[in-house]
Amino acid sequence: MSDYKIIFSGPVGAGKTTAIQSISDILPVTTDEQASDMTRNLKNGTTVAMDYGLIKLPGTERIHLYGTPGQERFDFMWEILSNGGIGLVLLINNQRPDPFGDLHFFLNAFQAFIKQGKVVIGVTRMDQAEMPRIEDYHLQLENSGVKIPVFDIDARIRKDVSILLEALLYSLDPGIEE
Amino acid sequence: MSDQQASPIRVAAIGMDQRQRNALVMLFNSHCHKRYILVEEESSEICIIDLDLYGGERLWQEFRQRHPDRPLILASLKPRQVENGHTLFVKKPIPIIQLMNAIGQLSQTLNNRTAEQQIDPVASPETTPSLPQKPRHPAAPVTRKVASLMTEAQETVFIGTSPDIDPDNQQQLAKIYYDPQHYLQGHVQQALNQATRYNKNVTIEGPWPAIDLIIANQQIMVDAGEKHLRPFCTVPDATREVELRFHEQHKPTTGRKEYSVYAFIWQLALWASRGRLPSGTNLNQPIYLRRWPNFSRLVVTPHALAIAALWSRNPRSLIDTANSLGISQRYVFAFYSAAHALQLAGETRRAVDTLLEPPVIEQAKHRGLFSKLLNRLRG
Repeated sequence: MSDYKIIFSGPVGAGKTTAIQSISDILPVTTDEQASDMTRNLKNGTTVAMDYGLIKLPGTERIHLYGTPGQERFDFMWEILSNGGIGLVLLINNQRPDPFGDLHFFLNAFQAFIKQGKVVIGVTRMDQAEMPRIEDYHLQLENSGVKIPVFDIDARIRKDVSILLEALLYSLDPGIEE
Repeated sequence: MSDQQASPIRVAAIGMDQRQRNALVMLFNSHCHKRYILVEEESSEICIIDLDLYGGERLWQEFRQRHPDRPLILASLKPRQVENGHTLFVKKPIPIIQLMNAIGQLSQTLNNRTAEQQIDPVASPETTPSLPQKPRHPAAPVTRKVASLMTEAQETVFIGTSPDIDPDNQQQLAKIYYDPQHYLQGHVQQALNQATRYNKNVTIEGPWPAIDLIIANQQIMVDAGEKHLRPFCTVPDATREVELRFHEQHKPTTGRKEYSVYAFIWQLALWASRGRLPSGTNLNQPIYLRRWPNFSRLVVTPHALAIAALWSRNPRSLIDTANSLGISQRYVFAFYSAAHALQLAGETRRAVDTLLEPPVIEQAKHRGLFSKLLNRLRG
């Protein structure tokens, strides 16, 4: 059996748990518990150690989907989870006070993925906060050295999460056969 | 564990809640071969404080009053100059290797103290063990709107069925161009340019259902669905009587179809293009992609993601793109027309881009896996 993994990261309330739920073949394992601090206003539960989902492929191959804890203080977990990952799905909550601050914080934390072009960015909650726009995110990324796909997504909608992952796969290899 | 084996180093997480503690336990179990164990402060040998916690600074000061010499790791997003023999700083986000190095370094401090205490029995109560201790583990660092994919019927509508052409055949070449200015696409693009310049809303009046562009929201409101609108988008010169009426106020009305202005122009360009190119496009000039289109809110033409990924790496001509990806030219032409309409793609002007042949697409190690996953996602 061959196992691979894709990492979902981003600040609290960005929709990592929901995104994994949207595309997982199994009922996702989530370690959410009742939020007890600053995250309480953002979501009812916040991820403790990690979220986990799975995509089963024909044959024996499986794609494990790991969601990093949303809170910055769990950051040392990110490296554990991301080691050996195919790529990174970074979700940014447009409703947070400083989404660009979040963007740069997470890009800095996952520099290895960025340098290898193994990242896609999904901006969530744009229906509730229209600004900044997707173009503004691209301006923020101009100095990254790679053209990163940035899509406006609703993590509850499978097609949105799916196209984000498709963009990740094509970024890794534009010659994939459909 | 035999007596010869060292007991794990006891680490405490001061002021951290259960979730942080869980994360540390997971780290110790998965990466540290049980050399460290999370305990309460009273029985700990090394402690960790996250200064970014509420009251983190106070926790640190109080901790030092209680334990002046106990090895301590401080973590924060902001760099701090706090290091001394028994206090180390690690900047968040903390790479595992740094955290392990810090714990390892402080373990060595503990080892040294143990050795000194065995020589000098008058040691501080803080670090004097009640029982003789074996040296700990060596302090060596641990080395370790929803995206819309096309149906077949849509593909015919948006892309057409034109066969590939020979770029050297002038007859065939003449058939692959269209002039956006002769289509509704051109009128809406012109309206957007002027509305942006004057910062006013605009109504595009003609034989088609009323089209309003609300500049502040970057939004298009149309009085009819796509079925009624499309005929006006696919026929050149559907009217020569187009009026742009500018206005400050927009009266919202119900029952109208709403689009993002970019998604609307993208769609009009696809309808007008039908697998052709804006007139004047040079087939042999490399094409650059300024940035990825927001595909989750656009009609995604076949192979659009592959083309975008390819152009985001290097500029590449339209013909070479089709050949490199092994796809029909009309897919490349359609995507270019739509991306060009949004000013996301264009011909390069730099001499360097035509100097060298674009590199062949390097096959990823896991291409087969990616292909399976792609089909699974689309299934």
